[in-house]
This record gives sequence, structure tokens and C-alpha cells, in this order.
Amino acid sequence: MRFVPNEDQAAFLTVLDQMIEPHRSWHVSPDWSRHDWSTELDGALEASGFYDCAAEESLGLPAAAIMTYRLASLPVLVESAASSMVRALFASDLPRPVAVIDGRVDSITPYLPVARSVIRIGNDGVYSAVLPEGAVKEVESIFAYPMGVLATDGLDWQHVEADSAVIRDAWRVGLAAEMAGCLKGGLDAVVTHVRDRHQFGRPLGSFQSIQHRLAGASVKIEGAYWLALRAAQRLGTAEPALALGYVQESSTQIVYDLHQFMGAMGLTLEHPLHRWTYRTRLMRSFLGGASMNLGEGATARWRAA
Amino acid sequence: MDFNWSEEQRDYRARVQDFLKRELPSNWGELSRHGPGSREQTEFSLEFCPKLAEAGLLVPHWPSEWGGAERPAWEHFILGEEMWAAGEPRGAQYMNVNWIGPTLMRFGSEEQKRRYIPQMAAGKAIWCQGFSEPNAGSDLAKLRTRAVRDGDDYVINGSKIWTSYAAMAEHCFLLARTGDAVGKAGIAIFLVPMSTPGIEVRGIPSLIGHGDIHETFFTDVRVPASARLGEEGEAWSIISYSLANERVGIPRYELAARVLTSMVSELKERGRFDDSVIHARAGSASAACEAARLLVYRIVDARSRGENLGVEASLARIAVAEAEQAVTNFGLDFLSDAFSSDTHPEYLAHHERAIVTSIAAGAAEIQLGLIARQWLDLPREAS
Repeated sequence: MRFVPNEDQAAFLTVLDQMIEPHRSWHVSPDWSRHDWSTELDGALEASGFYDCAAEESLGLPAAAIMTYRLASLPVLVESAASSMVRALFASDLPRPVAVIDGRVDSITPYLPVARSVIRIGNDGVYSAVLPEGAVKEVESIFAYPMGVLATDGLDWQHVEADSAVIRDAWRVGLAAEMAGCLKGGLDAVVTHVRDRHQFGRPLGSFQSIQHRLAGASVKIEGAYWLALRAAQRLGTAEPALALGYVQESSTQIVYDLHQFMGAMGLTLEHPLHRWTYRTRLMRSFLGGASMNLGEGATARWRAA
Repeated sequence: MDFNWSEEQRDYRARVQDFLKRELPSNWGELSRHGPGSREQTEFSLEFCPKLAEAGLLVPHWPSEWGGAERPAWEHFILGEEMWAAGEPRGAQYMNVNWIGPTLMRFGSEEQKRRYIPQMAAGKAIWCQGFSEPNAGSDLAKLRTRAVRDGDDYVINGSKIWTSYAAMAEHCFLLARTGDAVGKAGIAIFLVPMSTPGIEVRGIPSLIGHGDIHETFFTDVRVPASARLGEEGEAWSIISYSLANERVGIPRYELAARVLTSMVSELKERGRFDDSVIHARAGSASAACEAARLLVYRIVDARSRGENLGVEASLARIAVAEAEQAVTNFGLDFLSDAFSSDTHPEYLAHHERAIVTSIAAGAAEIQLGLIARQWLDLPREAS
């Protein structure tokens, strides 16, 4: 058992960190958009092959999960989970960015307005389609993604030839990593805030009531991170469902606390906290939400017990 | 990055399991039901641990100089998982293995090492930990037990409380105040034979098994200066090292995970594991156990590479406490009758362990404070 990256993974993550460093600072979108889609970073990572890392034996899904986590902690938005966890392993010919439709084909879905292809995970299997011009209608949304809905029912759906349960697991791991990363991004922003902001003559972060809840959030986020990484190595077991269920279940209290401690600043679009918390709030419901995923994890774990 | 056990590690676990199967008596369930601090289990440990030592399974990670085999930190944890999940047949001696022995190796005088460590490595030493006092629990630096230098000796007066294993222990790892310095700076550690005149131990009936909680009184207890571990005023830095080991020393997640599996099997037998609410709760408890396991494993992995992580132990401790609570609450919600019968003594045993975790070795709130300051770099609360 080894909790540190191997040599190739370490080199991969070093370069990744160099590429994302300029994108750590945040800016208000000129049009007060709820998200800050970064064509520049998304394109640079694609051009350098980062989103294909899961297919490299020495990098694998754990590297993709770490990348997704780190990218999700940024205030800018790129599309990583679907591309690096699902597309890279099961539909590598698809153009990206990729949107994933979970459930009904007419669901309002993140990334669709910027996506060049779509993967649909349904009860009858997994299908993919390239999105032609005009195939998506953008939808205004509170969730900090470009959100859209398919505007046509005439897509050329192709069956993805792989075990749909395993594909679903890869998507679960991607979502778990993205949620953990969003929560980490939000936590870091709030920790900075409560260190800097003084009330009652001292930093907010010196109040025990705030310290303990942020410390508790840290424990959950660290747990979620490692659960996602281990699940990345164990598709087809109970672990991906448990990893996603864990972070979905934990996120409710964490998101509440983050907004609570950011106070009124976190209610504005001037501060980016909402970019992390409203992505989290949306993902909380994905693949059936916490109860469904935890329940499926339990039935998988004790199927034969 | 690899989250799977190696073949060598799997073989090692199988070896430990075989040993337990062979050496635990048929009445072990009955014998161990009152917990590691009970008289029965302590006496058993004095037969069992020498056999473990003989098989090279008591202190495999210790240096060969002190009876170990320099085996990887992972083997120590695999061993600990199997022992704790089996009801801890090492009794109080797990403390020697996890932190008292390593602390003596690092900070002890040559005489102290020679005097105490071989007995620990042979599985024949019972120690207790004299830390908490009636007015110094979480605020340990306020302890009042005092050791006054008198020639070549110290004379100790004061009292300790909630002392595990004190009734059966031969030695106490005792904190006492020396000199005039206040707070952490004024504390020293003494290695005190419990047979020294002036020590009185009284048991306190508790919720957590027999023999786990005591009051210990020290009245004019005279020990030689050579019983002091380290220098006067060094205790805090020494016990910070010790407690970092103790906080994750017991693989509590392993027992929690196994008890959860037992609970699910019981629910299946009763035809009740077909309920989506129960499925979700079982999944939630299982995920909590695995999150705790991974946060502990991260520390073990660092140790295996020669690194010593600090505040990460506090994160792990919180996660472990949450996991244990999740499992015991799952059982209490869906199988409460089994906590009052003999059918599954492990549910009650686990419950008794679980309600301790967030209090012992630094209460959960202490750990959260450490995380806030050392992990999140938040400012200390104004006094």
C-alpha cells in the first residue's frame, strides 16, 4: 500500500500544478455569470493530453481523480470528471468537453452548452453521441455550471461497449473527486476569510465555534478525497458508490457552514464561494443522491455476506 | 499510489489470524466480554503475550536491539487490526507496543531502557497511564500532582483519575509537576512502580467495561531521581510524541467495520436487510469506517517511509470516532435487543469502546482545536 504518487504520477501532478497556478486567483465575470468557464485552461490541458491520463498504465484513474480534485478547487471551471474518468477509458474517440446525462435524456445538464459530445448513463445501458451545432439549448441556472438541455431528439446515439456498471462507477469516482475538490476550494476561501476578517476585535477564525466546524469539514473533505482515490482503483466494487455517497452526505453540513462563515460576502456574486458550493449543491443529487449511492454501496458490499 | 495489500502483507495477516485461531481459548468470547482492562483479560494477556513474543508477533516493528524484527510499520498495523478486532487479547499491553515502549526507546536513559523494555518485548509488563486528574482532564497542563526533589529522590503527592488498567498495572507512566514553572513547562514524567508505598488504587464502576477506570492516589510516594523520564519540564514534548502514536494506535475502524458486517448479517437473518433506509444507513456507516481507515493508513504509510506526521493523527482520530458512533448508532437503531442479550457480545463490546474514543487521548474538541490551528492555520482563541 502506498499513499504517495509514483514517479510518473508525481511528474504529471507537478506539471499540472504549474499549468493551473495562474488560474488560482479569481475574477468577477463581466456579466455576473455564476461560473467562470476557462476555455484557455481547459484547452491547454486537452492539448497536453492531461485528460487522457487514466489510459496510461503508470498514471491510471487515481491520477485522473487527483487532477479532477485539484481542478475543481479552482475558481475557474474546466471539464475534467467526465473526460478523464469516463471518456478516457470507455469512449476515447469522443470529442471533448463531455457532458454526462444521468437519467432522463431531457434533463438539464451541466457542461452541455460547452460540450462537443454527450454520454448518457441510463438503466438500459450507456450511450454516447457527438453534439452537432445547435443541439443544445442553454438554460439559465443557479448552479455554477454552463447548464443546458438537448434541443433535439435526433442525435446519433452509439452504445458504449463496456460494462455499464463499471462506467457508472467511473462516473461516481469522477463526481466524488469533483465534489471533494469543490468543497476544498470553498473551504480554503472561507479559511482565508476568517483569518483576515476581524469582528469583536479579533479574527473570526479565532472563535472556537467557527474553528471546530471548519476542522470538522476538513476531516470530511480529507476522508472524501482518499475514498475517491481508492475507489478509482476499485471500479466494480462497493467503493465508488460509497465514496460518492459519503461526500454527498457530508456536503450538506459543509456547504451550510461555509456560507455561514462567509456571511453576507458569500451571498454576493462578487465572491466566488458560490462557484464551489453551487456545483456541490447540484452534484449532491447526482446518480440518485447520498441515500441511493450509500444504499447501493451497502448492497454491493454485503451482497454475499 | 496503490491501495491494495501486497501478497506479503496478506500472508502476514493470515499468519496473525492463524495464530489467534490457534491460541484463543474456546471461552474467549466470555472471557473478553468485559474489555481489555478487566482482571480476566489482563491475566490472560500475561499468558498470551509471551506466546506472541515467541512467535515474533508482539513487537515486530521494534528495533532488533529491543526484541523486534525491524518489520515495516504496516505489519504493526495489520497485527493491531487483527488483535483489536479479536477483542484485544494483549489487554493493556497494547500500550507498551504502541507508545510506551517506543517512547522509552526515544527518550529513556540506558538504565530505563534496559530495565523496562525487555519485559515489554517479552509480553510480561502491565503499565498504566497517569495523566488525567480531577481538575485536569482536557486541560492537562493544569495538573497538580507534584513531585518534590528531596536529595536523590522525588516525593510525589496528588491524585490521578480515569486511569485505565491501574488496578493490575506494575508501573505507571506518570505526569507530575516539578519546580515552580506553571503550565506545560513545569511537568515531568516519572516511571513509577505501582508497588511503591503510598499508592492507593480505587476502581470506579463505569459504562465501558470492568477495570477500565480508576482513581489513583499518591501520598508521599518516594521514587529515585532515576525514575524521571527526560528532564524536568520536558514532559509536554515527550507526550506530544507519545499521544500522536496513541491517537491512531488502536485500529478502532477495524472492529467497527467487522461489527457492522455482523449487524448486517443479523439483519439478513431476520429478513430485515431489504429496506432502503437500512441500506443507506449501513452504507453511511461503512463509508465512515473506510474514510477513517484511509486517514489512519495515510499516517502508517508515512511512517513506513520514515516520516512522522503530526496533526494528521487528529484528523484520523475524529474520523475514527465518527465511524464508531455511526456503527453503534446503526446497531442501536435497528438491533437494540441484541445489546441486551448474549447473542452478539461484540455489539456491546464495540459500543463500550466507541463511547470512549471521542473522550480519551484528548477529547474530540481538543483534536478539532489542533486541526484548526495546525491544519487550517487559524489563529489561537484569545484568552
